[in-house]
Amino acid sequence: MGDIRQSLLPRDVLSAAKELLYHLDIYICNLVQSGRQPPQVDAKTLELVEEFILHAPKDRNAPARKMSALQELQLLEIMCSCFQEQSRDTVRQLMFSALFHIQGNQADESRMVLLGKLVSMAVAVGRVPILECAATWLQRTHRVYCVRLAQVLVDDYCSMVPGSVPTLQNIHSMSPRFCCQFITAVSTLYDLSSEELVPPLELLQMIVSWIQEDPRLVLITFLNTPLSGSQPISSLDVTPLGSLVRWCVKAPLAYRNEKKQVLANRSADSEPDPRPLFSALHLSVLQVFMLLPNVLNEKGLFGRLALLQMESVAALTSDLSRLLDQADKHAHTSAAGAQVPPQLALDRLAQALQVAMASGALLCSREDLRPICSRLPHNNLLQLVLSGPVMYYNNIHTPPLAYSPHAAHSPIASHAPLPTRSPHTPLTSHAQYPAQPFMSGMPFAFRPGH
Amino acid sequence: MSVVFDGSPLKATQSSQSHTAQTQTGLSSQELSQEIKSFISGVDAAQGRKLSVREHARCAVRLLRSVPACREVVLEHLRGVYNEHVSAFLHSLETDGSSSSGGSSNLEDIIQEVHGVLSEFIGLNPRAWAPLVSAWAVDLLGQLSSKHAERRVAPHASSLNELLQLWMSCAATRSLMEAYSQCLAAMLAWCPDACVDALLDTSVKHSPHFDWVVAHIGSAFPGTIISRVLACGLKDYCSHGAKDQGLLGDKGSRVPKIGSVVGILGHLAAHHSESIRKELLRMFQESLTPSATLSSASSSASWESSPQLRRAAVPFLLQLAAMSPNLFGAVSAELVELLRPPVLLQLQALLQGLPREELDNLLGLAVHLISQSPSGGARVLRFLADTATPASVIISGPTPSPHEGVREGCDRLLQTLLLHLHKLVFNRSDGAEVSLLNPSSSQTQRVIPFLEELRSHVGQLCAETLRLERKRHLWLHQLLCLLSVYGGPSVATETLCQLLTQARNPEELALAWQLHTTLSSCMVGLIPAAVAHCVAQIHTHTLGPRQLRQLLLNLAAAIQSRDEEKGGAAGAQSSMAVQVGSAVSGHLHDFCSLLLHGDTAVSHAAVRLLSCSPLPRTSPPAHLLLLSRAAVTHFFLVLRRRGETGNVGRDGGQAAESVSCSVLLLSRLAAYSPLTLKAILQQLVEGALHRGNAHLFGGQIADMSGAPISSPSVSPDLGASLLDINCRFGTTVNFSGSIWSVFHGGVIGKGLKVRTDAQLLDPSVVTQNIQTLLAVIVQCCSSSGLNASRSPSDPDDPLPINAEAAKVVAVTLVENVCPDVANGELSWPPEEHARTTVERDIHIRRCFEAHPVLFPLLQVVAAGRPALCYCSAALRGLLATLLAHWEASREAAATDSPWHLQASCLLVCCMGEGQLLPPVLANVHEAFHLLTPFEVRLLLLAVWEYVRGNAPLPQKFAFSSEKGLFCRDFSRDGDVARYVAPIHSVLHKNIDRLGHLCWRFQL
Repeated sequence: MGDIRQSLLPRDVLSAAKELLYHLDIYICNLVQSGRQPPQVDAKTLELVEEFILHAPKDRNAPARKMSALQELQLLEIMCSCFQEQSRDTVRQLMFSALFHIQGNQADESRMVLLGKLVSMAVAVGRVPILECAATWLQRTHRVYCVRLAQVLVDDYCSMVPGSVPTLQNIHSMSPRFCCQFITAVSTLYDLSSEELVPPLELLQMIVSWIQEDPRLVLITFLNTPLSGSQPISSLDVTPLGSLVRWCVKAPLAYRNEKKQVLANRSADSEPDPRPLFSALHLSVLQVFMLLPNVLNEKGLFGRLALLQMESVAALTSDLSRLLDQADKHAHTSAAGAQVPPQLALDRLAQALQVAMASGALLCSREDLRPICSRLPHNNLLQLVLSGPVMYYNNIHTPPLAYSPHAAHSPIASHAPLPTRSPHTPLTSHAQYPAQPFMSGMPFAFRPGH
Repeated sequence: MSVVFDGSPLKATQSSQSHTAQTQTGLSSQELSQEIKSFISGVDAAQGRKLSVREHARCAVRLLRSVPACREVVLEHLRGVYNEHVSAFLHSLETDGSSSSGGSSNLEDIIQEVHGVLSEFIGLNPRAWAPLVSAWAVDLLGQLSSKHAERRVAPHASSLNELLQLWMSCAATRSLMEAYSQCLAAMLAWCPDACVDALLDTSVKHSPHFDWVVAHIGSAFPGTIISRVLACGLKDYCSHGAKDQGLLGDKGSRVPKIGSVVGILGHLAAHHSESIRKELLRMFQESLTPSATLSSASSSASWESSPQLRRAAVPFLLQLAAMSPNLFGAVSAELVELLRPPVLLQLQALLQGLPREELDNLLGLAVHLISQSPSGGARVLRFLADTATPASVIISGPTPSPHEGVREGCDRLLQTLLLHLHKLVFNRSDGAEVSLLNPSSSQTQRVIPFLEELRSHVGQLCAETLRLERKRHLWLHQLLCLLSVYGGPSVATETLCQLLTQARNPEELALAWQLHTTLSSCMVGLIPAAVAHCVAQIHTHTLGPRQLRQLLLNLAAAIQSRDEEKGGAAGAQSSMAVQVGSAVSGHLHDFCSLLLHGDTAVSHAAVRLLSCSPLPRTSPPAHLLLLSRAAVTHFFLVLRRRGETGNVGRDGGQAAESVSCSVLLLSRLAAYSPLTLKAILQQLVEGALHRGNAHLFGGQIADMSGAPISSPSVSPDLGASLLDINCRFGTTVNFSGSIWSVFHGGVIGKGLKVRTDAQLLDPSVVTQNIQTLLAVIVQCCSSSGLNASRSPSDPDDPLPINAEAAKVVAVTLVENVCPDVANGELSWPPEEHARTTVERDIHIRRCFEAHPVLFPLLQVVAAGRPALCYCSAALRGLLATLLAHWEASREAAATDSPWHLQASCLLVCCMGEGQLLPPVLANVHEAFHLLTPFEVRLLLLAVWEYVRGNAPLPQKFAFSSEKGLFCRDFSRDGDVARYVAPIHSVLHKNIDRLGHLCWRFQL
């Protein structure tokens, strides 16, 4: 394959790239047919790709060849059809990884740019094979790059081109695998840690609608992947459950901060309220958790695989306690209703923990959780979850597990938890998010409020 | 797995409503891929025909709306569309819009469409779109404007307004401009740097043709653009500077943005110079403000928050100023005002942090700027000098003492500035010599604006230099030297002239000589030029009396220094004194008018200068006469002044000194040439007898006409009164010399007419004045050219009176005393003939009465034998009246008519001295006071007889070389005995009283 370089050199940029793609296709077909395991594209070929497709500067003296935007578009178009026309999945995968596998060299920049454009275009023109390949790529690649790809898509469809959200929405039907990976990447990207990292509303709506429509969507990667334990290091999580739980828990606090500014900036704007969306998302996530026991049992992994890692829970609780501290500082200025969002966050955390433990997604005992949650302020539900139903009946006035400033000035919350749950009550009134019936088959250790 | 979206109903509507906003979800993925294919190939995929430009553009817009990944391609493609439109537009302009207006309007709507889409996108999501579109628009604008710059209709790049008009009338460029403005307006809120950065980059790339964009944007957002452009430039300068230090090789490859910053600000300067200046000054001030006091209001993105940028601000501003004279000019004036002590302290604190080389660079830059600054140089200089002057001694100015470090900094800056100027000036003069062949080319580039401007401030500089404040005057003196060398002779003479005018004491005057010493090496004829300049100033009356006086005194001091230092080895100074002397001597006639200056101080100074100045080797007679006239007039003036002030106080001392100077001047002038001698003597005598001066010498203004003057206050107005003229009997018709003699003793019934006599001076003053006058005349007479070479053997012995000089005095006397020339012959008629000249004789006698000074003058004349001969007529007239008086006198003794007695004595004495009489006859006056009037008449008659017999002719005198005098040998004349007889009879008659005198009358 290396010998074609001389013939490629005199060509113009586009035709050289075209020809290389053509040769690459043939080369990989041969590779697959030879039956060598595992099929491996050799380094020389990768170099050719970098030189003629990604246009990484080969050495300093040669002027870097650059494609015009039109040529690039043509190349992308050719790639799209190339992947579309290739019937064999293995070949496609190999080709995709030959083109876009992160090599850790200076070509990676242009590789990512090209990949972003390719995937974005594939979304627009509905090239399913490319999305499938991209899904695999998202599974195997370091999460930093995955997040970048997700960022490109979100930028393109949610912020740059108005009204193109429905196009992105289609990926759910086009490639659920890609959709699942996209959710994972996006929820990893927007971790609500700063103002920039709050998911755009369009994205949030889209994700909520996806999961509501099909809760199993988030498990698709997990279901389709043979669990060999050979997960690449620091790739994305197998499911987006952890980061979605984080979204739901942190959202009341994060959005509360943001909302002030939003209100100050454009009060008349009819921006939809994100809070019902997070409630719906929370419910969906809990439902996904409740699907898990069956799924795990099918795979024979119940109690053996933690889909929700203990570390991420610990990170979440420490984040949460930090946020609550901040909120506590602000609470002095805005007195009324200041206690609602923190309690909501804690409630959601407690619910998620309870359901995750029950469904075998979180493999730990209450005793393990207590130290993790010790920094959190008092919350009746959380205390119930941590202490178990028996203790509740025995001493209703148990002091908080750890000293918390919240305990001091939230006696109402501790005595009358019901009013604090008001954000959840109008849940059913939202017509666009139809209420899901509780699954009666699920054993609930404790049903709050009933 | 792929899903066919239910797009089929939409597909139908698609083609009809191609550019409405509802395409957002309108296209299925298949259609989109078709769309992409046709966009790439430019061929309609469905119908297989080629797309027109409009359709292609519409296709691009659709892609822009639906395929995010295509936006770059689309924008790239739209470049072509815009370019097409611009071409068509210009073409239609070139063909006067006749041919292809349809084509351009076709594209115009698509451009409107694109513009609509873009502005919709920007409006919806400025954060995402504004950077993208602004970069694209600016780049495209740059490309378009430089690409079409060569078109025939395109105005030249320098005519910015026409350019602006042209491009704004083109839909494509206007739309781009609007899009960019929109982006800018959106981006100013959060990242203004990025878009201004792009603007600057493009401006650098398409320099002259892109200017209209910058100008337009700048005038649309003046405040922000100016401050942003500055901030961008600063940031770039900061990073660039840092890079410079790292690798120097990279320096040339990248054009720093500062160039375009300068260009843009230069543009905006036309209309927004005020805000530019404010912005620059604000930048300066804020860079100095300590960060602690900065208000938190300033956003985190602005440069003020970065200490590194703040530190770079001052060097940046300097650099900016160095690159653009406009900007520098705008700032420099106010900058100096800003540099109050607290600001200076901050500046110092800021600059202390910089490394040594950078400081040196800054210093060099600042020096360069100052030397190149076209205006405000004087203020800068004063500021520097004020700040750099050590404050320990006396308060140097209004500014309080600055911090020591600041002072040292300024000191260093000032010295470097001087050094720099020194280099410039002297290199320049070298260059000027070399380039004599084409002086015009080199002259222009050798201009040093700083010095150029200071040229007009030479006077102030000199004044400040002369204050002799510690180091300050050294600097300023050095600067003056440089300025003089730079400005050439004109400035040098101006400077020297100023110093000469303003110096008030020898120390200050020494500065002028130092300057001259320095300059003399490279300039010749400086002092003559300076003196000439001073003279010109005198003529134009630009100097006030004080300055004038100072100038004259300084010149005098300069000349006198030669005399003082003659003994010592004061080479430079004495040679300079000689030069000053010779220069002044060339302009004596210019200075002489100052002798009569209304201000006594000035005239005093003038006489001092003139008295010590050497006389020119040659001089036109007109000048000499002028000079001598002025000198004589001045002499009488100072005499009068001395009389008025007395000898007390400063004025008195000054008057006395003036008199002595005046005497010296007159005597030196008289000795200069026969012409001057004659003129001076003549004028002295005339002056002494002049009505106005007569009282100085005890004279009473004899009103010859004798009309009663009713009151002095009225008389001047009545000059034209017929009555008055009629009253002045005898003045309307002059009867003298005719056969009638009319006497007018008064109006009948009113007694004798009153003698109007002025107030009499103190006799001692009169004596002193007469002494002075005689001293002058004697000095003049004795030092005249004829016997100047002969020094007297005995220093105590006065020099003999020169005969020629005495003759001049004599002739003048006669002219003044005798009313007409009739009977003016030297030889005497018989005594009886005197009755024909009674009226004249009376006039002569009255003259002698009125002017006591006449007798001493006669004595002087007498001493200069044979000059007295020429006075013959006056003597005769006086003697005749005396004879008549004594004849008519009925007094018992001659002493009863004291004036006549004295006059008779003096007359005879003079005639004896003048050797008109032999000694025997000359001695008769010794007996007069012991005699009766008749006897006196007898003796005088004997005198008359002698003179009649031995005519007083000059040719009877012979020069005796051993005496150095003319002498008359009486032995050649007739026998004296004949005339001695009446003497002897009188002796006999009064032998009891005259016995002791007998020996005087022995033959």
